[in-house]
Amino acid sequence: MRRISFDTQPIGAAVVGTGRWTLSEATPSRVTIEAGAEVELIIENQPAKLQLTLERDARLRVVHVITEAGVHSSLGVNLRENAECRVAQVITAATESGVEVSLAGSGASFELGGVFLLSGDQRCGVRVDVRHDVSDCRSRTLYKGVASGSARGEFSGIVYVAPDAQRTDSEQLSRNITMADAHIATRPQLEIYADDVRCSHGATVGQLDDQAVLYMRQRGLSLEMAKRLQIEGFVSDVVLHAPIAECCETLVEILHEKLQSL
Amino acid sequence: MENETKNIINELEGSDYKYGFVTDIETDVIPKGLSEDVIRLISAKKQEPEWMLERRLKAYRHWLTLKHPNWAHLDIPEIDFQDVIYYAAPKQKPKLNSMDEVDPELKRTFDKLGIPLEEQMALAGVAVDAVMDSVSVKTTFRETLREKGIIFCSMSEAIREYPELIQKYLGSVVPYTDNFYAALNAAVFSDGSFCYIPKGVRCPMELSTYFRINAEGTGQFERTLIVADEGSYVSYLEGCTAPQRDENQLHAAVVEIVVERDADVKYSTVQNWYPGDKQGRGGVYNFVTKRGLCREGGHLSWTQVETGSAITWKYPSCVLLGDNSSGEFYSVALTNNYQQADTGTKMIHIGRNTRSRIVSKGISAGRSQNAYRGLVRVAKGAEGARNYSQCDSLLIGDKCGAHTFPVIESHNPTAVLEHEATTSKISEEQLFYCNQRGLSTEDAVGLIVGGYAREVIQQLPMEFAVEAQKLLSLSLEGSVG
Amino acid sequence: MLKVENLHASVGDKEILRGINLEVKAGEVHAIMGPNGSGKSTLASVLAGNEKFTVTAGSVEYMGEDLMTLSIEERSRKGLFLGFQYPVEIPGVTMANFMKLAVNEHRKAKGLAPLTAAEYLRLMREKSAIVELDSKLTARSVNEGFSGGEKKKNEIFQMAMLDPKLAILDETDSGLDIDALRIVATGVTRLKREDNATVVITHYQRLLDYIVPDYVHVLYKGRIIYTGDKSLALKLEKEGYDWLINDYKEE
Repeated sequence: MRRISFDTQPIGAAVVGTGRWTLSEATPSRVTIEAGAEVELIIENQPAKLQLTLERDARLRVVHVITEAGVHSSLGVNLRENAECRVAQVITAATESGVEVSLAGSGASFELGGVFLLSGDQRCGVRVDVRHDVSDCRSRTLYKGVASGSARGEFSGIVYVAPDAQRTDSEQLSRNITMADAHIATRPQLEIYADDVRCSHGATVGQLDDQAVLYMRQRGLSLEMAKRLQIEGFVSDVVLHAPIAECCETLVEILHEKLQSL
Repeated sequence: MENETKNIINELEGSDYKYGFVTDIETDVIPKGLSEDVIRLISAKKQEPEWMLERRLKAYRHWLTLKHPNWAHLDIPEIDFQDVIYYAAPKQKPKLNSMDEVDPELKRTFDKLGIPLEEQMALAGVAVDAVMDSVSVKTTFRETLREKGIIFCSMSEAIREYPELIQKYLGSVVPYTDNFYAALNAAVFSDGSFCYIPKGVRCPMELSTYFRINAEGTGQFERTLIVADEGSYVSYLEGCTAPQRDENQLHAAVVEIVVERDADVKYSTVQNWYPGDKQGRGGVYNFVTKRGLCREGGHLSWTQVETGSAITWKYPSCVLLGDNSSGEFYSVALTNNYQQADTGTKMIHIGRNTRSRIVSKGISAGRSQNAYRGLVRVAKGAEGARNYSQCDSLLIGDKCGAHTFPVIESHNPTAVLEHEATTSKISEEQLFYCNQRGLSTEDAVGLIVGGYAREVIQQLPMEFAVEAQKLLSLSLEGSVG
Repeated sequence: MLKVENLHASVGDKEILRGINLEVKAGEVHAIMGPNGSGKSTLASVLAGNEKFTVTAGSVEYMGEDLMTLSIEERSRKGLFLGFQYPVEIPGVTMANFMKLAVNEHRKAKGLAPLTAAEYLRLMREKSAIVELDSKLTARSVNEGFSGGEKKKNEIFQMAMLDPKLAILDETDSGLDIDALRIVATGVTRLKREDNATVVITHYQRLLDYIVPDYVHVLYKGRIIYTGDKSLALKLEKEGYDWLINDYKEE
C-alpha cells in the first residue's frame, strides 16, 4: 500500500541522474548515482536488496518506509569524495533491515534518522553499519525505538574507523522506550583504529520522563494523553527532519496512527 | 634443603595410596598433561576430603565435553592443554642475600613505583632474616582478624578446616558448568584465597593477597572465594603493582564473591603481569572469571587497573539477585606495544530496584588493541532497574585500536538504562601547553592520562591508588614522541 | 476558595508539612515566604497533587470540594494552576500543540466545544502578548533551549491561556533579571480578577513590589508560623527570618 505518492520514476538502469526515484522489479542490484547528481529515492514497502554507489559530489536523499510485515531490506551505500547521503527510515511492522555504509572518499557524509514502533508481538531487527575507510568523513546515526505489547526490537550497529581515517567525526545514538511486556536489545559498537577522531555513541533504554508527564497532567491532560504526547515527541523529531520535506506530513501521520495501537 | 627433604618424607609416610596407583610424590613436578589420574594426584597431594575430589572429577568430565571459546577480537594462539603442567609443589624461590643481587631493571621499576624498601626485598626474594618488620606486621594482622572471627586463609586450608562453608558456597556463583575455563579451573585449581566475614562485622583493614602469600609463587589456576555474611563489609585487594614474572603463561583463575543481605564488598585489582617484550613475545595470558552474587540490599564494587598481560580476558560481573542490590564496575585498562585487552563487565539485573554503574576507561598506545565488552541485562521481573555506563577510550598514537562493544537488553519497561562512549586522543595542543610550562612530554602524558583515569583510580584504597597512578605512567614509557 | 486545615504531608517517611492552616478567598493575593527547606515547594506540589507526596493528616477544600480525592489533571481542569519552579523540557512536543490540547481538555471539562484552529491561534497571540513572549517560541519544543527567564515567562503564558481560578506560583521570580521580573509580575497582575486568587511562593521581596499581596505568610519547618500584611515582607527583607524564628517556640 502506498501512502507516499509523488511522481517517482522506477529505477531501470544501472546509472541514475538527478530526479525522484523509486524501486521496481527492473531495478538492477547495483546502481551508480552520477557525479554531482541530486537524487531522491522513496522506498515504501518494497523488498530491497540494493548496492548504491555515489560518485563524487552526488547527493542522495532516501525515505524508507515499512508498514507491512515481512518486507525485508538490505541496502549498501558507498560514498565517494564529498558525496552526501541522508536517510529517514520509519518502521511500524515486523521486518529485518540492514544498512551498510562505506565512506570511501574524503569529505563524504552520511546521516540516518530512524524510528521503529512495535506493538502486539511484532519483531524487528535493525542494523546500521558505518565504515570510515578514509579520513575527513562524517556520520550521524540516530535510531529511536518504541516497543509495546510483547514486541521485540533490536538495534545493532558497528561504526568502524580504519587506521588512516583521521579526522573522522562520528556519532551514533540508539534511544529506546519499552512498555508493557516488550523487550528491546541494543548493541551499538565502535571499532576504532585511528586516533585523531571524534567518535561517540550512546544508547538508552528507558521509560518516559516522570517530570514531563507530571507537568502535562498539571495542565489538564490525562495520564494517557500525557504519555502519548511524550512518545509522539520522542519519535517525531526523527521524521520532522526527514530529508525529503514533502514526506514529513505523511510520515508523521503513519507514526500517529501506529501510536494509537501502542 | 634439609627441611624440605624432611617434609617430603613426612608426606610420603602419611600419604594415602587408596586410589591404587603408585606415583612418585617425592618429585615436585608431575608429567605434563591432564587426566583423571592427575586430578586424583592433585587432590591427594593436598590431602583433600572425598567430597572435594568428587567435585573436581565432575567438573573435569564436563570440561571434556566443551570446546575452547572463540572471541572475535583476540588473537589467541592455540593452547595445547596437554602441554601444561597441572601441579607443581610450592616452590621455594631462590633466596638472595641482598638487594644488590636483584635484577637492576626490576629494582628500577620498584623505585619508580615508590614501593617501600622492605616490600621490595620481600618481593624480590631477599632472605627473610633481613626483613624483620614484615614478619611482625603479619603477626599483628592475624591477631586482629582472629578477634573479629574473620577467616582469611588459603583455599586448601579452608577445604580442610571449614568444609561446611566451602560446601555451601564454592561454585554457587560460578558453577563448573558456566564456561570452558570455569570447568577447567574447578577440576584443577591449585590454590587461592578464602575469606569469610561474619554477620555484621566490618573488616577493619584491607585484606590483601600479599599477606597471605608467604613468598610462594602464585599458582596458575587460582580459586578464590569471598563470603560476606549479612551486614558485613570488606575491602579486598588483589595483585600488586610490581611486575610479576611467571613461567606459567596461562592464568585461568576463578573468583567468586557472595554478598549476603545488606553486606558490602569492595574488590580491587591492580594487575601488572609481564606483558611480553616489546615485540610481544612471551607474555602472560590472563583469563579470569570473576563474578559476584548480591542478595537483598547487597552491594559489590569491582575496581581494576590492568596494565599487564599479553592478553587479558576478564569480565568481572555482578548478578543483582536481591531487591535493592547494586553493583559498580570501575576499570582502567592500559595496553601498549602489542598487548591485547578484551575486558568489560556484565551486570545482570534480576531483583527489583537494582542499580549498576559502569565506568570504563581504556587507554591504547603502541600497536595494542583495547576492547570493552559489556552486557547490561534486565530480566522481566527487575522492576525499577537503573544502569549508567560510561566507556571512554583514549588513543595514544595512530597505530593502536580502541573498541567498544556494549550490549544492552531490557525485558522490563520500568528500567532506565543509559550508555555513553567517547573516543579521544591526547592533543598536540595539550602537550604543547604542558611543555611550555616546563613539563617533559613523558610527564605531560602521565599527567593527562592520570586525569583521564582519575574517576577510576579514586575508587582504589589510597596506597594502591598512588602506586596505580605511577604504574600508568610507567607503562606508557616510550609511547609518545 | 481554598481552605487548608491541619495539612500534614510526607515524602517517604520524612514529614515535611506539619500542620498547615491556610485560607484563600477569591480576589486575594497571598504570598508565602520562608527559609530554604521550610516546605514551600512541597506545599505547592501537594496542592497540585504530585503523587510523590503522601498526605498523612488534615484536609483541603477547594471550591467546596475535597481536593484530595481529585487527580492531578482533574484539579487542573477545575482551575488549579501550578507555575513550576523548574519547568521541565519536553522535546519533540511543540508549545503550540501542547497548549492546544490542554486548553481543549479544560473546555471539555466545562462542556464546551474545542476551539477551532483559527480561534486557538487568536487566543495564543493575545495571550503571548501579555507576557511579551516571542511567538516564535510557541513553535519550539516545550521549554527546550529556553533560558531561565523564558521558561518563567512561558509559565505565565500558560497561566494566561488556561485562565485558572487559583494560581500557585512556585518561586516564579527566581533566576530572573530585572526586566524579566517586571514582565512576569505585570503578567500576573493583569490576570488578576475578582473571581480568581493567586498564591505566590517567593524568596525575595522584590516580586511583591509588583504583585502586592493581601497576606504574607511565613512558612518554617512545615508550619505557617506568622501571618502579616505586605509590610511583613519588607521587614523580612531587611531583617531576615531570625527574629521571627527566635520568637517562635516549637511545641
